[in-house]
Amino acid sequence: MEEIKNGIGIIAIGQVPDVVPKIMAAHIGSFFQSAVSILEAIPMPVDAYNVHRRQYDAALILKVMADRFHAPIHKVIGVCDQDIFVPIFTHVLGEARQGGRYAVVSLFRLHNSLPADTPIESLYKRCVKVAIHEMGHLFDLRHCEDDRCLMHFSGSPLTLDRLPIQFCRYCYADFHSRRLL
Amino acid sequence: MDRRLRILIVDDEKIVRESFHFWFQKSGHFSETAASGIEALEKMERVPFDLLFVDIRMPGMDGLQLLERLKMEYPDTMVVIITAYGTIETAVKAMRIGAADYLLKPFNPDQLNLVVEKILQQEKMAVECRYLRGRLDKAVRFDNIIGASQPMASIFALIPEVAASDASVLIVGETGTGKELIAKAIHAKSPRRSFPYVTINCGAIPDTLLESELFGHQKGAFTGADHARKGYLEVVHGGTLFLDEIGEISQKMQVDLLRVLEEKKVTRIGSCQPLDVDFRLISATRRDLEKRITENRFRRDFFYRINVIVMQIPPLRERKEDIPLLVDCFLTKYSQETNKWVDRISSDTMHLLQQYDWPGNVRELENAVERAVVLSRSRTLKQDDFSFLRTAPSMRVDKPSLKENEKAYIRKILEECEGNITRAAKVLEINRVTLHKKMKRFQLTDRGI
Repeated sequence: MEEIKNGIGIIAIGQVPDVVPKIMAAHIGSFFQSAVSILEAIPMPVDAYNVHRRQYDAALILKVMADRFHAPIHKVIGVCDQDIFVPIFTHVLGEARQGGRYAVVSLFRLHNSLPADTPIESLYKRCVKVAIHEMGHLFDLRHCEDDRCLMHFSGSPLTLDRLPIQFCRYCYADFHSRRLL
Repeated sequence: MDRRLRILIVDDEKIVRESFHFWFQKSGHFSETAASGIEALEKMERVPFDLLFVDIRMPGMDGLQLLERLKMEYPDTMVVIITAYGTIETAVKAMRIGAADYLLKPFNPDQLNLVVEKILQQEKMAVECRYLRGRLDKAVRFDNIIGASQPMASIFALIPEVAASDASVLIVGETGTGKELIAKAIHAKSPRRSFPYVTINCGAIPDTLLESELFGHQKGAFTGADHARKGYLEVVHGGTLFLDEIGEISQKMQVDLLRVLEEKKVTRIGSCQPLDVDFRLISATRRDLEKRITENRFRRDFFYRINVIVMQIPPLRERKEDIPLLVDCFLTKYSQETNKWVDRISSDTMHLLQQYDWPGNVRELENAVERAVVLSRSRTLKQDDFSFLRTAPSMRVDKPSLKENEKAYIRKILEECEGNITRAAKVLEINRVTLHKKMKRFQLTDRGI
């Protein structure tokens, strides 16, 4: 069992390039002004695989993370290279419980939807956006109507590309007020 | 997000319900779940949900059956049908019944977002529609008097005309028809509106006290008159005096008031100094004053003085088309006052209310709705909530009671038996003592009269 005294933990799940958690850590640390630790990678949980859908169940991945990282962990975000889903949706780019502790980001569709000659930085940028959006949910922020805010819902990588890496002033203020609580 | 929807997810699969619930939590909507159609209907009875996601395949009541029930009982509620086994036939059927949309599980996250946005747009339009309906409601209201029926429309048209004149007005109508509201409306629209409006219920005040109340008194005018006091006829100077239940005042008081109306002067009890008064008189009665005149209980000269303009307010049973409007108004009023989510009334209950004769008129209807709202345990008022009305004799819908049938039958047999109690008892297959008891109870003679 691993423990983080405070701050945010980032964990690679399955076959994720080493650079991805590092880039996520740098961005999340500066965005949320919090200490970020990169945790030891874990394999993709086999039990989370759904043979009918040939995808991984995001809720089960979160459960594995919750079993592994107990209190006093503040927030943990995982990143995986497999396609993930929740029962009602064909796929999700990331998943987190509102006000919860654990979130997961999938690189699968972020990567697959990029044209062949696109620089790899575009993938990292997308990954960081999903990670910050899901972290926002962990800090109890809800979807925002403003399509210039990273908390605006995006169901596909293309709509994600249109969002900036920043919160609108209302979500920003909301985040800070929740953080002070 | 400007508007938060109240969403109910109806699916027998727990993971689907949870999945929806977590998703709507992130979007800031309020969501609840139900595992079956029955549970969904129970929850709908307590909370008015804006939007329902209903799975088609469920044990017991299936999604389409639930959709039918919802569209019948809650036509304004949006329902989105979700299914993992979609066919064109079920989709067409669902849309025909009134589904707002039809989604195949699993769906693209953007698809759900679009559906919710569409529902929010429709909800926004519905709010606008409700606002406009509210404006329309005001068109059928006249200073808190509600009615769209022809008799009420005539009264609404008459009020401004009557208000502009200074003539005495007699408002005639049964108790609870809103005579005082009409009087207030006349005063509010009259040139005297910035002056006092005084109401006196003549039926509630003893004659001796009424004299003192109306005319006032000087100090020492009678035992207990420790100080001088202005009467209402002085206080109302410049304004409108509303004398309710004018048919109840004594002949002496009628003479005194007649003099005041003719001379426009009032003299306090115990004083010799007449004071000038100027007021407009509006009277109201539920009595037939002309009949009272023939019975020598009401003075003809006083009657002619107060009924320069007569306004006849129809009883509620003669304008039953106004009942839904009134019920709607009282429902909104008492839902807000009691902080209860009671915002609907079933169509059969409304029919029941329209069948009833309302002897207490609008006041009785208002009290009935208030009582029903206070005691209701669901958001829809049903027939049971008005069970107290069923005992009223006017609910018989012209059918005689068992007691009346029994009386009529005994009378008929007695007539046929020419008053022979023994023969009649034999025909009725009861003994003579029982027949005598029944005749006494029904006040029948041996001739059946």
